[in-house]
Amino acid sequence: MRVSSNQIFDTGTLGVTRNQGDLFKLQNQLSTGRRVLTPADDPVASAQALITSQSQNINAQHLEAQGNAKTQLASIEGQLDSLVDLLQNVRERTVQAANSTLTPEDRQAIATELQARLEGLTALANAQDGRGEYLFSGFKGDTRPFAIDPLTNAMGYFGDSGERLLQVDTSRQMPASVAGDDLFMRIKNGNGTFQVQTGDNFLTPGQINQGTAKMDAGSVTDVVRWQAAMANAGIWSNPANAGDLRIVFSVVGANTTYQIYDNSVPGAPVALLAAPGNFTSGQAISLQKTTAPAVDFGANVVIDGMPADGDSFVVSQSSNQSMFDTMRSLIGALTTPISGTAYTRTEFYNEMSREMVNIDQALENVSRVRSTIGSRLRDVDSLNEVAQDNGLQLSSRLSELQDLDYAKAISDFTKKQLQLEAAQASFAKTSQLSLFNYL
Amino acid sequence: MGSGLYSIGISGMNAAQLGLVTTEHNISNATTPGYNRQRIIQTTNIPIMTGAGAVGQGTSVLTIERLYSKFLAGQVDRAQSGVSEYKAFYNEIAQIDNMLADPNSGLSPALQEFFSAAQQVAANPASISARQSMISTAQTLVARYEGLEGRLSELADGVNGQISVIVDNINSFSRQIAELNQRIVITESSVQQPANDLRDQRDLLISELNKLVRVQVNEERDGSYNVFIGTGQQLVVGTQVQEMKAIASAEDISTIVIGLKAPNGTIVELPEGLISGGEIGGLLRFRSEALNPAFNELGRIAASMALTFNAQHALGQDLLGQATGQGSFQNNFFTISSPVVLANANNTSTADVQAAFVNPPPVKGHYSLNNTAGVYTLTRLADGQQWSGATLAAVQGALPAGEGIDVTGATVAPGNTVRLVNAEAQSANYYTNLTDSDYRLTFVGGNYTLTRLNDNQTWSAASLAALSDLVDNSEGFTLNLASGAFAAGDSFLIQPTRQIARNLGINTNIASDPRLLAAGMPVRSNIGLSNTGNAVVSNVRTLPGYAPAATALPFTLTYAGGNLSGFPVGANVTVTAGGTTTTYSGGTVPYNPASGAKISINGIAFDLSGTPNTGDAFTIERNAGGTADGRNILALGKLQTQKTVAGGTANFQDAYAQLVSDNGNLTRQVEVTGKAQQALYEQANNRREELSGVNLDEEAANLIRYQQAYQAAAKMLEVGTKLFDTILALG
Repeated sequence: MRVSSNQIFDTGTLGVTRNQGDLFKLQNQLSTGRRVLTPADDPVASAQALITSQSQNINAQHLEAQGNAKTQLASIEGQLDSLVDLLQNVRERTVQAANSTLTPEDRQAIATELQARLEGLTALANAQDGRGEYLFSGFKGDTRPFAIDPLTNAMGYFGDSGERLLQVDTSRQMPASVAGDDLFMRIKNGNGTFQVQTGDNFLTPGQINQGTAKMDAGSVTDVVRWQAAMANAGIWSNPANAGDLRIVFSVVGANTTYQIYDNSVPGAPVALLAAPGNFTSGQAISLQKTTAPAVDFGANVVIDGMPADGDSFVVSQSSNQSMFDTMRSLIGALTTPISGTAYTRTEFYNEMSREMVNIDQALENVSRVRSTIGSRLRDVDSLNEVAQDNGLQLSSRLSELQDLDYAKAISDFTKKQLQLEAAQASFAKTSQLSLFNYL
Repeated sequence: MGSGLYSIGISGMNAAQLGLVTTEHNISNATTPGYNRQRIIQTTNIPIMTGAGAVGQGTSVLTIERLYSKFLAGQVDRAQSGVSEYKAFYNEIAQIDNMLADPNSGLSPALQEFFSAAQQVAANPASISARQSMISTAQTLVARYEGLEGRLSELADGVNGQISVIVDNINSFSRQIAELNQRIVITESSVQQPANDLRDQRDLLISELNKLVRVQVNEERDGSYNVFIGTGQQLVVGTQVQEMKAIASAEDISTIVIGLKAPNGTIVELPEGLISGGEIGGLLRFRSEALNPAFNELGRIAASMALTFNAQHALGQDLLGQATGQGSFQNNFFTISSPVVLANANNTSTADVQAAFVNPPPVKGHYSLNNTAGVYTLTRLADGQQWSGATLAAVQGALPAGEGIDVTGATVAPGNTVRLVNAEAQSANYYTNLTDSDYRLTFVGGNYTLTRLNDNQTWSAASLAALSDLVDNSEGFTLNLASGAFAAGDSFLIQPTRQIARNLGINTNIASDPRLLAAGMPVRSNIGLSNTGNAVVSNVRTLPGYAPAATALPFTLTYAGGNLSGFPVGANVTVTAGGTTTTYSGGTVPYNPASGAKISINGIAFDLSGTPNTGDAFTIERNAGGTADGRNILALGKLQTQKTVAGGTANFQDAYAQLVSDNGNLTRQVEVTGKAQQALYEQANNRREELSGVNLDEEAANLIRYQQAYQAAAKMLEVGTKLFDTILALG
């Protein structure tokens, strides 16, 4: 093969520059620690790295939202704790107040204390967060949610049912707030299905019960029967008021009996029992209709003590009663003077026990909301763990995609260095060879 | 006899001298670019025939030839042209590659910061500082788009500039070649010997020209070269030069293309396909294969982001409590320019065509139902698919199984269009169908034809409006004639996304008053305070198509006996329960507590679940005072991960990653092919060098060879003189 002198020089320099170029790139990789210096080095890995970095960023967003959710939920949980304390306190005072030996002054003192509690409750319901937003107003962050509604003269709700959401996971928006209507307002009274109240003395309209019969909150023994009876339009004079019942006692000598009336059309009672039932104190009165068609409502009410002739108790389906209304009616009962008669004390006792049931319902509602918050907090914790794991995985994935394998790079570097040295040395030698040296 | 000795000796000396001169010439030109080594072709003189036989008459040099192979030189030139092409291509594309690679200056970090800031607003919807910080990150994002686009524009300008310079160089080479043609023809015809060094110079010029653009050469009988580019466009014919011109393209005056100056002085634009190889070929390929797609893809991401973000933003409610159409409410968060339409400079009419983006269609599950003169037409908004019938039942019958919507209960007054939504649609928002291609609109023979340039898909129609209707859904833009009239042969270049990244901005009203950012939703639900059932209305939100005026708020739904009453009369209510979507005409709608229901009415949607008791009421009302509501900003935030680009197949980051990876792949391909071309060039060049290159050792040997030949021939003169002296001595 014929070789021109130019070729010797060209090939020599080419070998040297090529090796230098490779070394330069390796050196660049080693100094930055990145395997992929530009997308051209590994287009697929570069695209993957971009997508992974977005996942990482979104994961960080979720972590932050989880942090926010946790703070907000924990703050609500704190409010709920105070609320439980407050209601427990109210309950204790109610129990104390129901004690028939209290003097009017004692009852007044309790009423005053409950009034303070009611103010505490209102303040709590109108709690604001650090930014001045109301906690329990739904979406209406700047609207004071609870105030006396001039139309009804009762505590009104001026917020909405909205729940403030946070994106705590790709597919999960978590409410980080509780709407005030759900927590304070929509609480069923009575036993949650129906409510028992003292009725008037049936024989002397406008008069309270004259005996010493005390009622309990009643209980549902068979929900299915109760619901069927409520939905059965055929058995009610006015189906819209299904569930309105009146238990009326009649006392003839030593013999006390009761009759159950359909009270759904006020003032026009319809007897439901084919024959009045016999009553003894402490008896559970089963709510039923024995006239044709006979219907068992699947519920009963226990009446303790001795009713007077014509005394009555009224049953109606539970409706919603806010915590504020419950406390206001407690305070109202406590500030109403009681005469010395036994039956007025009985009436007071019945009033107290009815509202006590409602306090219990309020407590139950708070604990329901609290357990929702609790389970959200647990969810946040577990999402947080997942997100943190995820973050680690994404980091290591990103590192796999982009980062340099130092061992391999250093070994490559050494190899290239050797090649470059060889190319330089051989070029130096070859280029010195010339016939002219010998002429 | 004696004179024979002298003449033979002198012929030997002359030949050796020429040999020496040629060797010297080789040695001194060993490093001259384009030099081909030369050698003497020595031959015996014609012998004198005598009785004793043929008496040799010494030697003579026939010619001095250069060791040159047209074939090998052609190979080197072609390889050289390839090397230059890929080098020019690589030098340009590597800049895009580097730009996209930088983790700090790419689009990705700005995009991520923007959406992170949106989540901050979601956490504190009423916080002005969170809103302000989101607007600042939006400004950064917009600036980043602009910066990336600006860098690409610089490259485009650079390419334009380089083309102009190279065209000047090509013309200069052409002129030199023509001049050398003339000198070679004159020189060679006068002495009938090859003009070796002139030819070397001319071949060098051809080689240099090939570095700029691939040319073909053929040699005339008289020794002159004709030089062509492309499919036979002449650059040099003999001594005539046809000049190239760098001119603004008739289609897009911001693009410099190459024209040839015809003998009559007019300049003809050369189709880019005709020009290949060399630096110009590399630049043109870079522009069409890498730069323009990068412009368009970047613009497509920007356009998709702005359009989908704006569409969702318009559904929200700002901190002042305003929704779309109310007070100072701002529908658009981003400001975005229209698609570019460039009239061809050769158009004979004054027709002014304008293009506009179509509003991004909502995801699958949104329909519009139209009643025109007793014909009902249901249109699936995601792709424009339509079903028609004379009755709603007929439309229903035409629907494919599993379409998931029942329209038979709908109400549409003649001439009206209503919006229907099935449950599938209720979770996500929008996407765009924009492509990353440019389009060409032509008007020929009374037909309007739109050609998508990256795959040559065409659409034709008899009117521009009809053409616009054909493409608006699939291509994401509409066309209309703003003024003037078309003339036959008119052509327009449409670049839907080309300049979007450059012109993207933020609504200045929102930028100056962050309260106008629509973070909340304009509707909410209220569950009646006296409700005793456990049913809840959740997820109340606006859907694409929401207009506050269309539905009177509030309305209260009341449950009784398996029915919800209180829907606005005449409004179409679509209810999805247990997987089937049914349309009812306002008023009373059945509700089954066991399955729950997803309900939508006039662009308001909500979920109802749980068991209501008779008389339970649910109010859907305006979200007045809803300052703590971040539902719309959450929906906006979701756009980060939703498939919004390219017909709903990729999210913003996916599309950007695709751009990075496409460009990276191309860069790598160009780099690798460039290396292969380099290897090819080296191979070809080695073969040429083997033949034509000067080897100094060889020349050193030749020096000695001719020196000795000269000495020997001179000795012969001495011998002759001595012989002559001997004869003289005899006398």
